Amino acid sequence: MRQQLDTAIRLSLAGQVRNRFAWILLIVFVPVWYLVIGSMFGGHTSVAFRLRATGTTVVVNGHNLTLISAGLNSITLLTAFVVFAAVRRARFFDRRLVLSGYRPGALIAAKTSAALVQAVAVGAYAAIVLLFFWRPAGLWTIAVAFMLAAATYAALGLLIGVLVRGDLEGFFLIIMISLLDTFIQDPVGNPMANKPILEFFPSYGPTQFAAAGTFSHQVLASMAALSLAWTAAFALAGLAVMRLRMPRPVPVAAAAAPSEHPAASADGRPPRRQAEVPVATRVKEV
Amino acid sequence: MAVLAARGVCKSFGRRRVLTGLDLDVAPGELVAVVGENGTGKTTLLRILAGDLRPDAGTVTAGGRPGYCPQTVVLDEALTVDQHVRYFQAAYRIGSPARAGELIERLGFAAYRGQRAGTLSGGTRQKLSLTLALMHDPPVLLLDEPYQGFDWQTYLAFWDLTSELRERGTATVVISHLVFENQRFDRICHLTGGRLEGEAGSHAPAA
Repeated sequence: MRQQLDTAIRLSLAGQVRNRFAWILLIVFVPVWYLVIGSMFGGHTSVAFRLRATGTTVVVNGHNLTLISAGLNSITLLTAFVVFAAVRRARFFDRRLVLSGYRPGALIAAKTSAALVQAVAVGAYAAIVLLFFWRPAGLWTIAVAFMLAAATYAALGLLIGVLVRGDLEGFFLIIMISLLDTFIQDPVGNPMANKPILEFFPSYGPTQFAAAGTFSHQVLASMAALSLAWTAAFALAGLAVMRLRMPRPVPVAAAAAPSEHPAASADGRPPRRQAEVPVATRVKEV
Repeated sequence: MAVLAARGVCKSFGRRRVLTGLDLDVAPGELVAVVGENGTGKTTLLRILAGDLRPDAGTVTAGGRPGYCPQTVVLDEALTVDQHVRYFQAAYRIGSPARAGELIERLGFAAYRGQRAGTLSGGTRQKLSLTLALMHDPPVLLLDEPYQGFDWQTYLAFWDLTSELRERGTATVVISHLVFENQRFDRICHLTGGRLEGEAGSHAPAA
């Protein structure tokens, strides 16, 4: 199990790192999005932002708040896309691995780990790029909020990846959900601003966490927990569907099962199994 | 004793009955071809034998984990040849990838070990798929149209390899819509009406 888990984590990350389009999005899209969205809401006018978690309203710089929304939007799109693409790319390959003896649990744990590593890296990167546009107080809270939102959307990308039939539907869903979710949290030019309904959207927690940290120097742990709950819900649903769809591999009889590190034969080949151990195994009975 | 046995296997897709109580026994070292027209259920049968698809009824028994080479080449486009070998080494839980290395040499694609699957030609992808099915030295090998995309040299290398596997006791089932060289098989089974009708191949010993 350990060998399978290590291998799957390493190779899942290797596969994600080779997603060239994701690199282009990361290097180009994230800063360009800050620039475009920041320019669209260029006036440094003050807006009222309700920290619903504390019941207070703070007056904040609208441009700076919009930069947080732009960061959330770009990283949620990016992480959901990368995980969605990885799930779609590997869905038949994973079946073949399971049929060949890979434990589904090891594959699922590896994909989860790889998605979390990606979420942390992308969140940290987006926070660093933000410094070129604004030097916020409490940058670390924005970085944590970005990581939380990235993790939620990585899980959402996984869920969409196992549910939709075609890639186009998946991309459309990711783009629409991310745009809707992140921008309705921003009170700049938004008629839904500060309404209670915002609490029922995934980026509510990260937005509140970042805004409270940078504009009123508070750490809202409950908002981080809420964001993690969204992540867990999406991930559990997606992983459950993934697990249910995995095939049941042919079980190998105990006498014929190879050890984790069997002794290689003189020619370096794995030891021959069934020819010497003619134990028939019932593999399927309906 | 059969190393692979199917009994009364049935499979339908909606109202279309594809397999209707199919039986199959394959002995160690036996090389069996399953042939039939398009849409007769050959790939469905192989997927059921491999555990990739559940039959509606019937049983399949196997003497160990089969090597399975599906019709559509199933690889991870982003991973290199060597990374595929590492993945399947972990799947089969084998200590050494030496057998995979030997197969890569024999099938003539060692120069591509560092290349991603997405950049390989169709024939090389097929060779990699075959290597992944064979690298754990399986007791049963299930191949669906295995030589699509092979050049002539690779085709001959494939049959050399198959002969060697037969001598080592590996049972092999080859799915094909056409069998050009029936002398290479011990038995040729025709899939018609959801069942198999067998005849001896030219390679089978005379009764």
